[in-house]
Amino acid sequence: MSDKKTIGSVLIAGGGIGGIQAALDLANSGYYVYMVEKSPSIGGVMAQLDKTFPTNDCSMCIMSPKLVEVGRHMNIELLTLSEVKDVKGEKGDFQVEVFQKARYVDMTKCIACGACTEKCPVKVDDVYNEKLIKRKAIYALYPQAVPLKYCIDADKCIKLTKGKCGNCEKKCPAGAINYDDKDKTVTLNVGSIILSPGFKPYNPSGKYMYGYDNNPDVVTSIEFERLLSASGPNQGHIIRMSDHEEPKKIAWLQCVGSRDINTCDNGHCSSVCCMYAIKQAIIAKEHDPKLECTIFYMDMRTHGKGFESCYNEAKEKHGIKFVRCRVHSIFKNPTGPGQVVDFVDDSTGKVVRDLYDIVVLSVGMEIPPDVKDLCGKLGVDLTAGGFVKTSSFNPVATSRDGIYVCGALQGPKDIPQSVVEAGSAALCAGSALTEGRNTLTKSVTVPPEINITGERPRIGVFVCHCGTNIAGVIDVERVRDFAATLPYVEYVTNNMYSCSQDTQDFISKVIKEKNLNRIIVAACTPRTHDPLFQETLQSAGLNRYLFEMVNIRNHGSWVHKDFPKEATEKAMEMVRMAAAKVTLFEPLTEARLDIDQNAVVIGGGISGMTAAKSLASQGYQVSLIEREGSLGGQAKNLFATSKGESIQDGLAHLIRDVEANHKIRVLTNTEITSVDGFVGNFDTTLSVKGTKETLRHGVAIVATGATELKPDEYLYGKDSRVLTGLELDRKFIDNDPSLKTMKSAVFIQCVGSREPERPYCSRICCTHTAASALHLKELNPDMAIFVLYRDIRTYGEREALYKEAREKGVIFIRYDVANKPVVATGKDGLTITVTDHVLKRPVEITADMLTLATAVVPYRDEQLAQFFKVPMNADGFFAEAHVKLAPSDFAVDGVFLCGLAHYPKPVDESIAQAQAASSSATRLLSQKSINTSGNIAKVNPAFCTGCEVCVTVCPYNAPSMVMEGRDKGKAQINPVLCKGCGSCVASCRSGALVLKGFEDGQLFAMIENA
Amino acid sequence: MTEALKVTGGKSRIKDKALALIPDGNLSACLTCGTCASGCPATGLMDMDPRKYLRMAVLGMDEELEKHPWIWVCTMCKRCYDVCPMHINIPALTFELRSGWPREERPKGILGSCDHHVRSRGGAMGVPFEDFKFTVEDLAEECRQQEGFEELTADIDREGAYFALNQNSREPVTEPDELLPLWKILHKAGADWTYYSDMWGGENYCMFLADDESWEKIVRAQCEHIDKLGCKVFLNTECGHSFFAVWAAIRKFNIPHNFEFRSIVEYYAQWIREGKLKVNSDWNTMGIKFTAQDPCNVVRKSLGDKFADDLRFVVKTAVGEANFVDMHPNKSNNYCCGGGGGSLQAGFTEERQAYGKIKFDQIQATGATYVVTPCHNCHAQIEDMCHVYGGEYHTVHLWTILCLAMGILGENERTYLGPDLADFGLDG
Repeated sequence: MSDKKTIGSVLIAGGGIGGIQAALDLANSGYYVYMVEKSPSIGGVMAQLDKTFPTNDCSMCIMSPKLVEVGRHMNIELLTLSEVKDVKGEKGDFQVEVFQKARYVDMTKCIACGACTEKCPVKVDDVYNEKLIKRKAIYALYPQAVPLKYCIDADKCIKLTKGKCGNCEKKCPAGAINYDDKDKTVTLNVGSIILSPGFKPYNPSGKYMYGYDNNPDVVTSIEFERLLSASGPNQGHIIRMSDHEEPKKIAWLQCVGSRDINTCDNGHCSSVCCMYAIKQAIIAKEHDPKLECTIFYMDMRTHGKGFESCYNEAKEKHGIKFVRCRVHSIFKNPTGPGQVVDFVDDSTGKVVRDLYDIVVLSVGMEIPPDVKDLCGKLGVDLTAGGFVKTSSFNPVATSRDGIYVCGALQGPKDIPQSVVEAGSAALCAGSALTEGRNTLTKSVTVPPEINITGERPRIGVFVCHCGTNIAGVIDVERVRDFAATLPYVEYVTNNMYSCSQDTQDFISKVIKEKNLNRIIVAACTPRTHDPLFQETLQSAGLNRYLFEMVNIRNHGSWVHKDFPKEATEKAMEMVRMAAAKVTLFEPLTEARLDIDQNAVVIGGGISGMTAAKSLASQGYQVSLIEREGSLGGQAKNLFATSKGESIQDGLAHLIRDVEANHKIRVLTNTEITSVDGFVGNFDTTLSVKGTKETLRHGVAIVATGATELKPDEYLYGKDSRVLTGLELDRKFIDNDPSLKTMKSAVFIQCVGSREPERPYCSRICCTHTAASALHLKELNPDMAIFVLYRDIRTYGEREALYKEAREKGVIFIRYDVANKPVVATGKDGLTITVTDHVLKRPVEITADMLTLATAVVPYRDEQLAQFFKVPMNADGFFAEAHVKLAPSDFAVDGVFLCGLAHYPKPVDESIAQAQAASSSATRLLSQKSINTSGNIAKVNPAFCTGCEVCVTVCPYNAPSMVMEGRDKGKAQINPVLCKGCGSCVASCRSGALVLKGFEDGQLFAMIENA
Repeated sequence: MTEALKVTGGKSRIKDKALALIPDGNLSACLTCGTCASGCPATGLMDMDPRKYLRMAVLGMDEELEKHPWIWVCTMCKRCYDVCPMHINIPALTFELRSGWPREERPKGILGSCDHHVRSRGGAMGVPFEDFKFTVEDLAEECRQQEGFEELTADIDREGAYFALNQNSREPVTEPDELLPLWKILHKAGADWTYYSDMWGGENYCMFLADDESWEKIVRAQCEHIDKLGCKVFLNTECGHSFFAVWAAIRKFNIPHNFEFRSIVEYYAQWIREGKLKVNSDWNTMGIKFTAQDPCNVVRKSLGDKFADDLRFVVKTAVGEANFVDMHPNKSNNYCCGGGGGSLQAGFTEERQAYGKIKFDQIQATGATYVVTPCHNCHAQIEDMCHVYGGEYHTVHLWTILCLAMGILGENERTYLGPDLADFGLDG
């Protein structure tokens, strides 16, 4: 080996959701992370969003735990107000020059009390709120910001610019203000670099067609997002900015700054705008059901998981109007308020004029020039569209070895795809540095637990405003004051955002100061926030189970929003119940569990092989299970990627790598017959070519793929000239000479997709067809090619293929699902009749070949789902743990997901997800052991009659019968398997089972206090 | 149901011609998004719109498209091209399709005007140079009778003059008194100017006819002649298409020239700012409201919002800021009045009037009594729309209002003023 150093740290440039996920993956698997963020706090654009599609989760609510985890992580060092300026060195040993702007506030002293802001006389445009309102020159980026430390805007502060004022210094109780702070440049030594600086929303200013300048009622979508947000300029009440009237009609204009090479230079599709417009329209309608919402669009691009059904619901359930017309321009109504939108009514061919109170410009994504310049300086190549160039088989590796990319800089994308790429980049960045793993990280020191046995309960109650999410309905102060009157309550307070970093520090401080030994947080859902607060208890030396969350948001302010008085009273009662319950709490213990260091990957396609290779690169032994006789999966039938790379070459390369890797054992002709065990200790029994074998492994990755629909329409199977997309690819692979002599070829899109029996979009077919059409044109430039489609969904930079196909003469004709093309066998070929969408005239095409872009169909593998107890959605794809933030994880610990089994996706995305799933698995494996929950069932053998009902009902196989000793014949619970669901407890007729944390006494106390 | 159109996807004359001849002419790139059609005042006329029209080309419906008269209704205003996300040059396609018509089958009005111009080496009305010369000399003499203009000159072919003035032949031929306000302004500003004799008419119907050869011939002759005179600036008067005819021809045909080509409205603004033209709005004590038409040819198609801003500055100075009411949309996003592209001579009156209804409604919405139109075609069309749709506004040239504001508008120079201003300032 060479004497090259391998530095066990990674620099992540950009603290948005992608950077955050990559940082957590790396820091939790043995690498020290520097997170360099340009703004004063991390969070990026996701922190500005109100809700996220398609589930309409509150963006801040799902993100905040991750922000806090980054903020608290001892192996993540945040460098805010900082930018990467240059990189020297090479993979494994980079020297990164980082410029850090002065904050003028000492972060170690600032307690984020806000006294400075209150007295600051200078008003500045609030960038977080898209300049819709003002903030002060000394500010925190947003209420839940991490780090929650104030910062002085040096360009605006009159002390720094003119030597006047000095109020903040006078008011700061912590002495944190430092006007002499200086900008500085630091050099960091790291092994890998991840670029995740994100995007800039397109700025429509200066473009007359949008009428955006000087017209407050024309807003960008990101501005509208702030208007919708409870923490936004108008507390989430939608108003027309010009006169603060409530709007009656809102229009969204799609593709502003996207798919446009004229008024801007953005040929790409921004991938997210169709869905966010739908989301915003739905939320706006929820605010006011009388509101009329109209979305003007070219192609509705709802190509992600759950998107198409969201689109259908928007139309059918929410009554949102969709008008297919790109609008020429918007201008002020000359005779009153509102904006004029002219559009062509397809049915009449005439221009229709409509007035809207607010027009939302669905602005696209751009990479800002300074980021492009940095890439140039770093030797990171860009595509023609200005995104970082990557290959489909290595989707996060840039042209400079050791520098990786994730998120929008790699190409326009949504949050789940950014999170997938973050995992992928983390995996790659870590794989490059395995020698340096755990060399620079620090380990957690949990303070010794305070023994509270025998102590009188001393309860602390923290009531959360959640901005206005709760306080907008519930009288938080009243709930707080009521809590103070309850027995054993020693301390009460209310917080703007209980989940913020400073509140965690505050809770910890109060626990120590007031000797609290039970904590109640009345806020949102324990599902997302329990672990956060439990860690806070731990850091204060309290057992983490002496904690109860009361969900006064989901169960209070959200469901009773029209009944503030009753909601407040309900919240008070819920707090009283919780107080009665925690009084009876006792400390619980957790079982420690070793994690077997072997992995199993199920499925030997591109995703499975990539996952196996990725885990092996991290040093783990992997068994790769494939039911067929050879590796390759669907890729065996695929010709080229959207970037034109040969899939057969890439596949051959991958198979070679996998087969040659001594850490990977390839098991073909192998089926799983049973799975026992649990996270860290799975025992999977296989039938290997008919022979039985059991594997012990700590994690499993499901990469079982999907297949292509064989349709029963358009003469498929009846006329040999009708093919599926994969069958055409086979002809390409075989270089079929007949393709060169054909005169005319037709493609029909959405065959079996977006139909009642299969309502999802298969995501890959539009791109695949555009690429195939171009390949046909290459083989035979004179061939006439027609694509019959419903919406062209060449998302992201794939739009370039659609454009190129049109430019080369491929004719795209849109059909309506109610009026599908008709295919007949004719003498000279197939005759296809379709109504042209522009001329509204039937058009007849004679074709030598018809290719059907058929649906991607999941295997709907119920048995595998049963084995690992993982869920499946209605379409038959496996359901991930969280659609936004955990797209490659299952809710079941130790089992991960990637590839087509998750949702249809192209090769590059499959590979990225396989790497992300491997990154998640690595996060777990690298810990070597984990603690299980303390909220588990326990048997009191004195009452147990040995009836075995518990054994029968448990879905996790946790109960079993003691076979020998004093308690022989009585039930026992395996604490590792128990998920704390309570089924056994409810089924026990003898009262021998209790669920720790939900004991009878505790629940009865709650009922008594209800 | 209509019989199915057989589409082969093979060669298309129109597509190929567009690709070969038009910059931004790849019609196949069309997204069929509707941007063009939603912003086009001619959408729906003859059951056609720019999107359908491109679609016919894409589907290879050459014969149908080559004969379609809609291309004479489209005014080539460029509103579509400006915003088309694929930047497809639709107006240029109209031009190419027009040029594809057998010359004798093109609209007689336009054809005749072009032929007259070329044949007479004068203007579209075929008036001989001698008549123009006589009119100019006669009127100049008449003007010198007016107080304050004793020194006024209106020369033709005076070598070394700073400005060479481009004169639409409409005034000298049909309403010579309208020349006087223009001259008076030039005189007040102290401008050193001359007319030129060869191809003296500023209008250019050969451009509308899509007769490149004749269009070029006229502009080339003008350029050569002006260069011979040694003028520094070729100054275009208040006429949109004459401006564009020169502006575009210089670029399209790569015509050499030593002068700067400018619009007089830019100079009005400059002269006011420099104090050479003493214009103010003190006269408008009645608070008479004005609006202004932005001619496509000088705004969207060539000089952009800078011209539109100059126009507003001039009008507002002359009538008062508070008395100016803008149309919406305006400036570079303004609608063509419907009189552009030769449509006034094209013969499709019904379509032209339907097209112009949009402009009429826009004007009505301002509530203004006067529409200032620094363009002959806009002037004629907007005035016609007033008659057709029963409006009450008056359509005026900018020179009229400037002279009115300066108190130098003569008795015979008020054809287009309404009764409220017909005698204004005359008895003072």
